[in-house]
Amino acid sequence: MESASFAEGGGITVEKPKLKANAIGFVSNIVIGVASVAPGYSLAATLGYIAAVSGLGFQAPAAILIAFFPMAAIALAYYFLNKADPDCGTTFSWMTKAMGPIWGWQGGWAIVVADVLVMPNLAQIAGQYTLSLFGDGSPSTNATLAVGIAWIILMTVICYIGIELNARTQRVLLSLEFIILVIFAVVALIKVYTGHPVHSVHPNISWFNPFAIKGGITALNGGLLLAIFLYWGWDSGVSVNEETENSTEAPGRAALVSNVVLVGIYLLVTVAVMAYGGLGNLISHPFDVFSPLGHSVFGSGLDKILTLAILSSASASTQTTILPTARTTLSMGRAGAIPRKFGEITPRFLSPGFSTIWMGTVSLILYVVLMKTSTNLIGDAFTSLAITIAFYYGFSGYACIIYYRKQLFQSWRKFVTLCLIPGLAAVFLTWIIVKAFITYSAPHSGYAKPILGIGSPVAIALLMIILGLVGMLIQRITMPEFFRRKREIAPADVLDGDAIAVGRHS
Amino acid sequence: MSSGLVVGYDGSDYAKAALAVAAELAQLRGEKLVIAFGYQLNKVTGEIGDYHHALEELARSRLEEAAALVAGTGVATEAVIMEEAPAKALLDLAESKDARMIVVGTRGENPLHGALVGSTPHKLVHLSTRPVLVVPLP
Repeated sequence: MESASFAEGGGITVEKPKLKANAIGFVSNIVIGVASVAPGYSLAATLGYIAAVSGLGFQAPAAILIAFFPMAAIALAYYFLNKADPDCGTTFSWMTKAMGPIWGWQGGWAIVVADVLVMPNLAQIAGQYTLSLFGDGSPSTNATLAVGIAWIILMTVICYIGIELNARTQRVLLSLEFIILVIFAVVALIKVYTGHPVHSVHPNISWFNPFAIKGGITALNGGLLLAIFLYWGWDSGVSVNEETENSTEAPGRAALVSNVVLVGIYLLVTVAVMAYGGLGNLISHPFDVFSPLGHSVFGSGLDKILTLAILSSASASTQTTILPTARTTLSMGRAGAIPRKFGEITPRFLSPGFSTIWMGTVSLILYVVLMKTSTNLIGDAFTSLAITIAFYYGFSGYACIIYYRKQLFQSWRKFVTLCLIPGLAAVFLTWIIVKAFITYSAPHSGYAKPILGIGSPVAIALLMIILGLVGMLIQRITMPEFFRRKREIAPADVLDGDAIAVGRHS
Repeated sequence: MSSGLVVGYDGSDYAKAALAVAAELAQLRGEKLVIAFGYQLNKVTGEIGDYHHALEELARSRLEEAAALVAGTGVATEAVIMEEAPAKALLDLAESKDARMIVVGTRGENPLHGALVGSTPHKLVHLSTRPVLVVPLP
């Protein structure tokens, strides 16, 4: 690390920050895990669409509950992949190492596609809730579009300049979001039992029963696909978990607790919302599930607090959308998988400047194009986004097995944690993708008109896959170096003493 | 007895001004100059490894540039990359080196950042237990 050009030959030393105390670290890990999912926004974005899945009906909570298991299993795969790569990569690095550059490239592309596809939805929700905050309950398309555009620009600038909320502010914001959602759900449920508001239904245990779904497997699949989105982003907490001093035990426990907390809040709010307003209310307001309900549950004034909570959640979510995408393209740029320009850091702001601006611009264009074509396309982009997420989560599961292939049969415990659990989840997610392709390729399965006779969610997904293949081909011709990289295998000793894979006493 | 000067350097014109003054003081007193580049890595999400490497590369090139700038003065220098927010980095470094003084430019980062979350010199002046020298543009 000595630098030849350094004047007095002293070299450059690097000082790492000190680790946080255990107690604080544990709570922080939970907060980061939950905050990166942005529960308020995720619910606002997803509930309307889940309720609208035909044949799923009141069994939406069942789908949300089932989706939790594969996601938790994939989080386990993330944990192990991260162990071997202490510098914290994600899908792009891992798939490149485990499965080779072609799959790695597609994994990175999937992250970019997912993040770009979610931006119109985020902007739309931010637009709706901002306007409803100022009293415009049913804004015109153009008003929402304007606020949505402003939102994307503002968030891109924030990420470019590198203004980051510190951990404490994040904790406070998340706690508020959380408390408000819980109060909202509890008040709604109390009113359901005491006041019997119009359209209200008493919650029933069958809402959690997947076998009660009228539309059968197809409906469950549609629900699962969207429910996966609810847990999207949860994995990012896993990489931060390394920070605590007691790193053999704390990460696993924090991950588990944050997962349970998430499932709890999702089920509580979903049940409350369905019980209070029935399904029709959810279906007719896919972009602003909470604003009409908030008004009715909380009354005037207090409902603004709920709107604020969703907005703060959406802003956190926009940032955790732009940041990882910019970092993925930075990583790809530095690896030579895409033009080097993407790998540049802006000296003044220390952010991946080019990648950030690029991400913001593409999102902006997509949002305007979709809005100007048909707002229904935003809903279909959302469905197709779920296919993309299922792809890169599923393949991260496969990557874990392939990367650790030499260690799978060393013990039962390793077989179960490294192979069986991630493998089952990966197969399950693959099945969801295949099923989704079959279901959503039917011409009238989407909200928008079919494109070339194919249902618009699948048409969007296919378009993205083709773009990805073309992009990769161009890169392969112009920058072949990256594609010559060899597959790697997990170092033999990386899991020694790991609390999950080996256990403490072995 | 404290000795040596800690100077924050990020490559901006403000930092260059601070570095020039710090080198001059170090030369006069025959003390050592510790040049520091601080950055905080937000680990919250995404591919972190490569971003981290890119930041470190940038920090190295900046520190080498700083060393080249003061090479003619004959001052003994040391360069440190601190993985901390700039203000905290300089405070910690001054503490661990038992430095006589911290030297910074009036404005290293961008003004908007300074206005929203407080500028580095502003924080230093309030938090440091050691003298802080804030150098304006020449």
